[in-house]
Amino acid sequence: MAAVDELSFTVGHGEILGVGGPNGAGKTTLFDVISGLTPASGGTITFDGQDLTGKSADRVCHAGISRTFQLNAAYDTLTVKENVLCASYYGFRNVVFPKFRFDRATRTRADEAIAFVGLEDDTETVVGELPILQRKLLMLAAAVARQPRLLLLDEPVGGLNRQEIDLVMGILRRFRDEQALTIVLIEHVMRFLVALSDRALIMHHGQKIYEGPADGLARDKTVVEVYLGERLAQRLRLGIEEAEAGD
Amino acid sequence: MNGAGFIRMTPIRRDIAIGLFFLAIAIAIPFIDSSRSTMTQVILLFIWASIVTQWNLVFGVAGIFSLAQMAVFTMGGYTAAMLSLYMGWSLWLTSFLGAFMAVLVSGIIGAATIRLRGAYVALLTIGFAVVMQVLILTDSDCFFYRGVTCYNFTGGSSGLSQFGDFGFRDWLGYKQSLVGKYYLALFLLVLGTIFALVIMRGPFGYAFRALRDNANCASSQGINRVKYQILVFALSGFFTGLSGAFYAGHYKTIGPTMLDLSVLLLLLSMMVVGGLGRAWGPLLGCIILMFIDDQLKVYAEWRTVGTGAITILFIIVFRQGVAGLIEQLWERLLALRGARTAGASATNDKATG
Repeated sequence: MAAVDELSFTVGHGEILGVGGPNGAGKTTLFDVISGLTPASGGTITFDGQDLTGKSADRVCHAGISRTFQLNAAYDTLTVKENVLCASYYGFRNVVFPKFRFDRATRTRADEAIAFVGLEDDTETVVGELPILQRKLLMLAAAVARQPRLLLLDEPVGGLNRQEIDLVMGILRRFRDEQALTIVLIEHVMRFLVALSDRALIMHHGQKIYEGPADGLARDKTVVEVYLGERLAQRLRLGIEEAEAGD
Repeated sequence: MNGAGFIRMTPIRRDIAIGLFFLAIAIAIPFIDSSRSTMTQVILLFIWASIVTQWNLVFGVAGIFSLAQMAVFTMGGYTAAMLSLYMGWSLWLTSFLGAFMAVLVSGIIGAATIRLRGAYVALLTIGFAVVMQVLILTDSDCFFYRGVTCYNFTGGSSGLSQFGDFGFRDWLGYKQSLVGKYYLALFLLVLGTIFALVIMRGPFGYAFRALRDNANCASSQGINRVKYQILVFALSGFFTGLSGAFYAGHYKTIGPTMLDLSVLLLLLSMMVVGGLGRAWGPLLGCIILMFIDDQLKVYAEWRTVGTGAITILFIIVFRQGVAGLIEQLWERLLALRGARTAGASATNDKATG
């Protein structure tokens, strides 16, 4: 059985696509395949005219795609600053043979990324000691320090509380607006997904069951049935109406 | 806070200060006590420290549990010895060829372990060392004759000898030759330490540590695991191989006993006691274990028990090693000072560095 099966979709430049679906739907596997960690058994991946099918993770990264991980992956024994420096240095372009020091451009990119997510006070903290929100922010900083054109975010607000979710949402909106980034995000927090995404894609058993406007999710029968449930769908519908009324 | 900040901010300056401190002591030793026993002990310390410093790059910094370091060392030593013996080349030249051979072999071991993780790396690499030792020990075919005596290609169980040395006796005379070798060993250790420090503190070291901490995350951030794993093995091979060649030239012999498990475990203990992955851990560990070993000499059979017990103590209680303990104490001390002078400028703390 394939975790992701015959799934096909496109993301436009500057767009935010939200990917949802029940646990085990194959969302993270989809990211693993795109980012080169798991080889695809078939199909093609095209990014900005380049064929990325079968490319290794580091080459996908150098093509301009950054990703974050569901399990808050970072270098736990290094400090926040060192983490972002690493990403900025090795991710920006392919380093054939490392120099003896991080160059100025690398440092500038790292400092800007840290400032962008607001982690200036934690630069010297060892990452293993960071609380969850700061770890999420660190992953974002590392992901943008290398100035990608496409950002793949795997549950960027999983495990965060309401205020923290709003904080991350604000940062991501600024990312898109200021850096002309394209973002694909996986999220279970529907409020976040719907509010941020231009379009949504819902997966189930490795296949696509919905693709369309994010605010149409709660009205789609299949999505409500296999994923959202009637109560959440109703709340979402209300929430959207509130948001629209607010505008 | 200021003090702790200072410690983290300028590791390079701190390395230079610590390095000069050790170097001054090392340079002074022959002037204080140039007895044969002291010289040979400290030379051996330098050789062990040279190996452990490079091994620490693979084992500590990159976190790859390779046990092939003595095999790489032996490869360097044997290559130099055999080339000098069979080709008649100067040991100075063949030492470098031995070092390059060690780089090659170490790189190949790195490539062979790419698909393995953790304990399996240890198994494969220890297997490599065992096979190498067995091949040398079972080598009984006659490769050449000196008079009527038959010699094997690898020297077999008795090892290789009569391949010459570094010529210190001709330059400095018998009495001073040991001092000459002492400073050569020290020079090798200094170069090897600078080499390791530059790698550890620069982007190279961060790539290795990134892969150690989280390989998937590192690959997704542009660090190619295959490339950097082979690189760290190859880099750590150079000074290890050079130390092997120096060992051969210093003792004028090299044999398969260098591949004994006891030697490997002694060096592993040195790394653990000193502090895995720490810049000054290998050197501290070597000094401490050599000192303890020396103190326990009179109790004969308790020697290995003593070093074993200390290693266990460090694995269980002080995982960060002596270097880590000193760093913690130092930071706490400076934090206390910083708290007392609350808000005083950071420049004051520099005086204590």
